[in-house]
Amino acid sequence: MASPKIRRAMVLGLVGTLALTACAGGNSGDQPNDEGEGGGTLVIDTAFSLETGDPGRNYVPTGSTVLHPLYETLLTFEGDDETEPVPGLATMEVNDDATEFTFSIEEGRTFSDGTPVDADDVMFTFERLKGMEASKANHLVVDIDIERVDDMTVQMTTETPFLQLPAIVTNPALGILNSEVVIENGGTTDDTDAAEEFLNGTSVGSGPYQLESFDLTSQVVLVPSEEYNGDQPAQFERVVVRNVSEAATQLTNLRGGDSHLALDLSGDQVAELGDDFDITAGPGAQTIFLFANQDSEVFGDLANPKFAEAVRYALDYDALLELAGDGAAQATGVIPPMFLGALEDGIEQDLDRAAEALEESGYDGETLTLRFPNDQPIGGVDFTTLAERVQSQLSAAGISIDLAPAPFASEIEPYVDGTADFAMWYWGPDFADSSSFLPFGPDETVGIRSGWPAESAPEIADLVSEARQATDLDEREQAFTDFATALQEEGPFIPLLVPARSFASSGVDGVTYNSNWTIDIAELSPAS
Amino acid sequence: MTSTKEAARNHTGSALPRYLLRRLGTSVILLLGVTLVTFILTAIVPGDPISAALGEGAIQNPATVEAYRERYGMDRSLPERYWLYLVTLLQGDLGTSIRTSRPVLEELSIALPATVEVAVAAVIVSLAVALVMGTIAAYRAGKLSDQIVRVLSLIGLSVPTFWLAIMTYRLFFMELGWAPGSGRLSPSLNPPPRITGLYLVDFALDGDHVGFIDAAAHLALPVLVLSLFTIGLLTRFIRTSVLEVLSSDYIRAARAKGLPTRKVVLNYLLRGASLPILTMLGIAFGALLSGTVLVEAIFAWPGLGTYAYYAAINLDLPAVMGVGLVVGIIYVVINLTVDLLYGVLDPRVRLR
Repeated sequence: MASPKIRRAMVLGLVGTLALTACAGGNSGDQPNDEGEGGGTLVIDTAFSLETGDPGRNYVPTGSTVLHPLYETLLTFEGDDETEPVPGLATMEVNDDATEFTFSIEEGRTFSDGTPVDADDVMFTFERLKGMEASKANHLVVDIDIERVDDMTVQMTTETPFLQLPAIVTNPALGILNSEVVIENGGTTDDTDAAEEFLNGTSVGSGPYQLESFDLTSQVVLVPSEEYNGDQPAQFERVVVRNVSEAATQLTNLRGGDSHLALDLSGDQVAELGDDFDITAGPGAQTIFLFANQDSEVFGDLANPKFAEAVRYALDYDALLELAGDGAAQATGVIPPMFLGALEDGIEQDLDRAAEALEESGYDGETLTLRFPNDQPIGGVDFTTLAERVQSQLSAAGISIDLAPAPFASEIEPYVDGTADFAMWYWGPDFADSSSFLPFGPDETVGIRSGWPAESAPEIADLVSEARQATDLDEREQAFTDFATALQEEGPFIPLLVPARSFASSGVDGVTYNSNWTIDIAELSPAS
Repeated sequence: MTSTKEAARNHTGSALPRYLLRRLGTSVILLLGVTLVTFILTAIVPGDPISAALGEGAIQNPATVEAYRERYGMDRSLPERYWLYLVTLLQGDLGTSIRTSRPVLEELSIALPATVEVAVAAVIVSLAVALVMGTIAAYRAGKLSDQIVRVLSLIGLSVPTFWLAIMTYRLFFMELGWAPGSGRLSPSLNPPPRITGLYLVDFALDGDHVGFIDAAAHLALPVLVLSLFTIGLLTRFIRTSVLEVLSSDYIRAARAKGLPTRKVVLNYLLRGASLPILTMLGIAFGALLSGTVLVEAIFAWPGLGTYAYYAAINLDLPAVMGVGLVVGIIYVVINLTVDLLYGVLDPRVRLR
């Protein structure tokens, strides 16, 4: 039997634990504007994909979210409108051939230390990224050259028409750096650059916020930049972006008042929140698709567009959409709805057409294998569940498949190498422009992975060239629409879903989804 | 003339360093084996770490792919890569993470203390509770209190930890508001100046009582959840061990002499049962240090489990190797500590 002393110790321990938790207090977040008129602490929960605080080395979503309010770019987007970039630190003029882009930097803008922003900073930022071949963001600028025109003007040039350039310069990887400070701390314009460690602790941009602390694993804290002189000053005294990998914990934190904004909730989780929270849910920028390899050495007799057509018309897209929750949409083509050239209507199930195409494809009842990555749900869509429904629908249409899930890190190799015969994958834009979906063309990145050479579909290859080389916006939009339409008719792809991006917030205004930076922290303000 | 005790003491005095040296040698071989096995396993897993790390955009850029392959030695043969790893390891360098481009040692030095803090607290709580419950159950074997303890410990062992974590978090944080939110600290506070990486210790050294209380409060739920399983495990073990000792002659003699129960329990009973308990405690501590992935995920606790998870799913080989090595070292140190404590607790197993 426990002695009185032991019992006393146990009681004291229990009381102590409860007192301790009560002292620290649950529900510590409350309203973000509870610390005064200027907006108090804003807490954002998200599953981190964060690798660096150096804009030039960043190419992952959470990095873009936290770097965007620290480093302004030459052009930017307003809210969720990604159709056309608007002036950021500069205004832009383009020549008729769409090969010369002249940027005039706004006079009087300053970095967080009060230094004026000028052409040298833009030149350094651009040349640094171009010189750092080991940066994941390097590919953004490989086809672009830059030259200084005067103290406040730079010109970017390309060899061929390049109307995607304005969208590229909105990318947070091209956030303008205070060149003087970066050079003092090891910055160079080649792979010897050693400024990353410095930039992981200090921000040197012209944005409305600056970095207070940066921890790759737990949280990033932003505070207002006192020297900011743009037209969108910080609305919160402190913004804490926390790494909360579990969506269920994000939901609990939000409901318990410990956070104000959750970024990774599924459509179903958002639906259970009720009226006390503001919901932002809409299609994201990623397309989940199936592909049937067109290389006969990989997919044998079924390496033909007819098999892809059979699958395309065999599926019941509404039933697939049920798995994706609120805000998701049927993929009407490979280009998601927010981008230029996206199609209005998707494929509707047509089992007769599917049967006819299947007959022509040479399919003779063999069991196929559908490969897919199973550890990276996109927008709350679990690939295994989706694949099971595809399997059941294809079975009803007479196509027998086995499922072969594997971790992303293992599955990406056969996909990239073009040795996957029949697979489910996803694709998101490299930057906020429809040209990021041209890789689905024949002899382009995803086309090659699908064993689809240009000679198999020369008309579609021409459409890719037209879209890429268009010099005016109307011509460009039409080219993208034609490209997306042609792919739906005779491509090897079966676009399935555009998963939702669902955010839930409490006491925060200005929450919108943008594929470049997920949410724009600079646009967030306490609820009015 | 030297007494027998003195001779034994002298002998033990010279034997201990020899023993420690021998253990150190075997530990080094063991850890070398750990690196080799981890390296082979990571090498034979299908998949390309560079493709996994770069993502869609960068993988289309041959210059970036080449730079990555060169930087992480992926352009070399497997034996060459392993040899280079060992050479840099001997210089105290665990390599650079492919995912974050930061030194693995630096990242582990942040992740490990977070896990150590919660694991140490969980072991202390578990041991304290399990000692009381296990001893009561053994003392009152077959009676109602024994039945209750056995059922409770069975529940502790049976309830899935991740489910318990979700439920306790929802109940104590969201519904009752008794516990603070996720993470190691409230968003309004900054971490303490880094000395040990253990927030409680660093806040205490910094004299920041607000931070100390907040950090302690954030520890409460993860510790509660992790402790329940360990309490269940230890309670059953302690009950069995105490029952065995209870039937021994020296305990019967002590009780027959009329010694107070407290004295019998503390001075004779628990000491006698301590060796198997210590073994189980070491195993439980090692498991807590290396296997808290789900609990860390639910409480957004940036510890070793989370780090290992991200390293594994991204095929971040240097990070995976680093975690393997650290876990190996943890078990080696714990085993050595347990072995040394054997000698302290039981003269019969002292070095000869």
